[in-house]
Amino acid sequence: MLNAERRPSVAERRSSFLSGSLQNSMNIPVVPHLAGIEDPLPETTPDKVDVLIAGTGMVESVLAAALAWQGSSVLHIDKNDYYGDTSATLTIDQISNWVNEVNSGTSSLSVCYTNAKLYISKSLRHSNTYVSRDFGIDLSPKILFAKSDLLSILVKSRVHQYLEFQSLSNFHTYENDSFEKLTNTKQEIFTDQNLSLMSKRNLMRFIKFVLVWDEQPEIWQQYAEKPISDFLVEKFKLENNQLYELIFSIGLCYNLDVKTPNALQRIRRYLTSFDVYGPFPVLYSKFGGPGELSQGFCRSAAVAGSTYKLNSQLLSFNPTTKEAVFKDGSKIKVEERVIVSPTQAPLDSKNIPKQEYEVHRLTCIVEKSCSEWFGEGESAAVVVFPPNSLKSNNRTVVQAFIVGSGTESCAKGTCIWYLSTVETGPRAELDLDAALEALERSIIRESSTDLENENDLIQLGPNGQTIINSVKLGQSFKEYIPREKVQFLLKLYYTQFTSTPPFDVVTPSVFEFSKEWPKDSSLLVPGASDNNIVYTSMPCAEISYDDVITAAKVLYEKIVGSDDDFFDVDFEDEDIPTYQNNGDVQYQNTFEEDDEEDEARDMDIVENEEPMGEMEI
Amino acid sequence: MHGVKRRQWNQELLEQKKLNDAKNINNYRRLTSTILGLKEKKEYSLDNLQKSKELLKINPEFNAVWNFRRDSIIALKEQLEAKFWEEELDFVMAELKIYPKVYWIWGHRVWVLNNYPGSPVSIWKRELLIVSKLLELDARNYHGWHYRRIVISSIENRTGESMDKEEFEYSSNKINNNISNFSAWHQRANMIPAMFANNEIEDKKKFIDDELKYITNAMYTDAEDQSVWIYIKWFLNSDIVSNTYTTEEYVKMIDDVKQNILIINQDDLDFSGKENAWCLKMLIVIEEISKRFGSQEECRTQEYVKKLIEIDPLRKNRYLHLRNKT
Repeated sequence: MLNAERRPSVAERRSSFLSGSLQNSMNIPVVPHLAGIEDPLPETTPDKVDVLIAGTGMVESVLAAALAWQGSSVLHIDKNDYYGDTSATLTIDQISNWVNEVNSGTSSLSVCYTNAKLYISKSLRHSNTYVSRDFGIDLSPKILFAKSDLLSILVKSRVHQYLEFQSLSNFHTYENDSFEKLTNTKQEIFTDQNLSLMSKRNLMRFIKFVLVWDEQPEIWQQYAEKPISDFLVEKFKLENNQLYELIFSIGLCYNLDVKTPNALQRIRRYLTSFDVYGPFPVLYSKFGGPGELSQGFCRSAAVAGSTYKLNSQLLSFNPTTKEAVFKDGSKIKVEERVIVSPTQAPLDSKNIPKQEYEVHRLTCIVEKSCSEWFGEGESAAVVVFPPNSLKSNNRTVVQAFIVGSGTESCAKGTCIWYLSTVETGPRAELDLDAALEALERSIIRESSTDLENENDLIQLGPNGQTIINSVKLGQSFKEYIPREKVQFLLKLYYTQFTSTPPFDVVTPSVFEFSKEWPKDSSLLVPGASDNNIVYTSMPCAEISYDDVITAAKVLYEKIVGSDDDFFDVDFEDEDIPTYQNNGDVQYQNTFEEDDEEDEARDMDIVENEEPMGEMEI
Repeated sequence: MHGVKRRQWNQELLEQKKLNDAKNINNYRRLTSTILGLKEKKEYSLDNLQKSKELLKINPEFNAVWNFRRDSIIALKEQLEAKFWEEELDFVMAELKIYPKVYWIWGHRVWVLNNYPGSPVSIWKRELLIVSKLLELDARNYHGWHYRRIVISSIENRTGESMDKEEFEYSSNKINNNISNFSAWHQRANMIPAMFANNEIEDKKKFIDDELKYITNAMYTDAEDQSVWIYIKWFLNSDIVSNTYTTEEYVKMIDDVKQNILIINQDDLDFSGKENAWCLKMLIVIEEISKRFGSQEECRTQEYVKKLIEIDPLRKNRYLHLRNKT
């Protein structure tokens, strides 16, 4: 009755959960599968904890796990009957309920989201083909860079063992009504037939520079306060289309005015992520994005001893008695801190920080596989619409994250399109609509079958010549348009608010507001139910997870005093790898080592042939 | 060591480790003296063959033991089971996976293949697949490249058909994947003369033209890459190029390359205020060639050497030596 309908959880999908196979449980020795936290209803809630966290979103969950492994006792609650909060991955039915709650205006959810509009097609609502839980829709979809702080934490904390990742290598830039694929590796630059010799040189020079840009301030310092576009054109003589690729697809920036150091940082993020795990820069998790990851971190926290309670809402916190009261009447004493997501704020709260920045989102499920956009063996892509590339004359970028059924986030033959923009006001919706139309046109064009392939259109004449049946051709053209329309199973618009300005991904200023935690009672707001509560920030517009660890770390430091031991976990089963039982590892390592000395000796071992010779000068 | 978790050694563990080490050292010494003794006395037996394997697993760098193993195999040839040879190849592969850069293991593998009963072309073709896989894992392992050339020539000897064209394409693929793969460029410099010598190229002039485009492309893509420049130097000096072109065409080609190098060098100067050392070195090479072809242009080698000493002071004496030579 708690979850009448939900998608299988991280633990339930694990084969060991189903079969209890010995082999699987041996691969994951540290973490028991903890079926219990699927419906957490602890019989006894502790009388007191060090930290109370309300909301199981990405940042809160990472924080809970970090605190739990550090040794703090944590009670982690969520007022919903599912994990994830602002990062949740929801079924169609859960989305309907969520939209109703946002629009009801009675819940704290309305402070964080507005203007939610949901269209569900008849064929989805009354269908034998699809079930609501075939779909997992992310409220704030994210991609994971192969070289990022979150990925290291996932590995270090072993939370990655709960998850499955797939690669994403296709980044498209929308230009002149078509998608251009990126040219961003040395290999592609070398073999690209369309680039002029000088462009190759300029592009290579920039790529080499950007990998170590912070060590060479003399090159960019005079552009520190200037837009990246000026820097790229004046200093590196890059051309317009390269500019767009670098700034919008590789850098995932929102407009041309981004300051040079900011953009360089983001361009490097992509390039250093390339080839870490293979020829792709980005990963995404199967079955859903941040919803899955949040759940993984909650599980890790539970393993470390945190208590979990869903369907549990905070009513008030009294900073003097340090007593927190919940809706079901239970109480708990919190020794250190109460951390609350703005969506889970108690009634009569008066301290929620202003959520002044807008993120507009449009999420669609289409009845098309969209595999044309994906790389080989992959099921997702990123499409970027640079400023002024759309019919709406967009001032700001629209980013689209395309997720196919190979990710198990949607039913076979369907695809989820996540569009978002940081444009404000009514323009935002116009931009999203224009981008949606462009996506629609593009997929129709790319997936339509050639007329030539239609046998009944072409007939062979008596002498073997081909006759195109003009009557049928005419009919076919008439039918062509209605037949090739993209069927939308679902469309969802909403505006989300956040206290994180676009682009302030890595600055701790996100939490500036919490610097002045009231120390004495005169600073408390009279009558407020949330005095001395620390609020986390809503997810920002950033399409990657890059803000999550920074945000969790800042909060962690405020609670523990320093972030030195943030996920300083030591697992007991880690042993010294010896070559007998770990030959493969050694083999890999030895093969990777690659020194120029060896290269040079290549010459020495060729006995019979005249070598190219050592360079005389 | 990299990538190995540091272990907290307490007194007890340390003692344990010492005991273990002592045991291993004793075992190794005992095996060594046994086998060297057997080698001295030329005592070959299946049992001793097994002992040599044990020792080689501990120390594959011990070439005397590989020699003993080979002598034993030859002596025991009649007694060996049919499956021995496949097992020997498996053993060598297992060793190579752990020690991919030990000369003796590669050498032993070649020996096994050559002494395999009949040494049929099929095992060499299988070997080509294996070495291709190895070069996928590490495209720049020079042992792998050298071994590949041995395998190719064995196949060619057995089939009587040249594989130059395939190998030339293989090198192009590897270079396209990574332009800094010196081994692949080197392979290319081996294949082209072979293809010319065997008359395997239809339109030689077009081939050279295309190659010129390829290296121009490479030099613009990465003008700091020594693999590319070393190949260019080989190419410009190669008889194949000067014999394919008329003198006029050749001189013009050299001049075109020179102009491109000047453009790249100027571009570097504009960007960083420094000239490109590789460009300067190549300009000196080009002047030498031009002089051989009777160029009347003013010689600027002295000036290039001076600049080189400025931007690359560590090799000052080398550059001075060069200047005095010319």
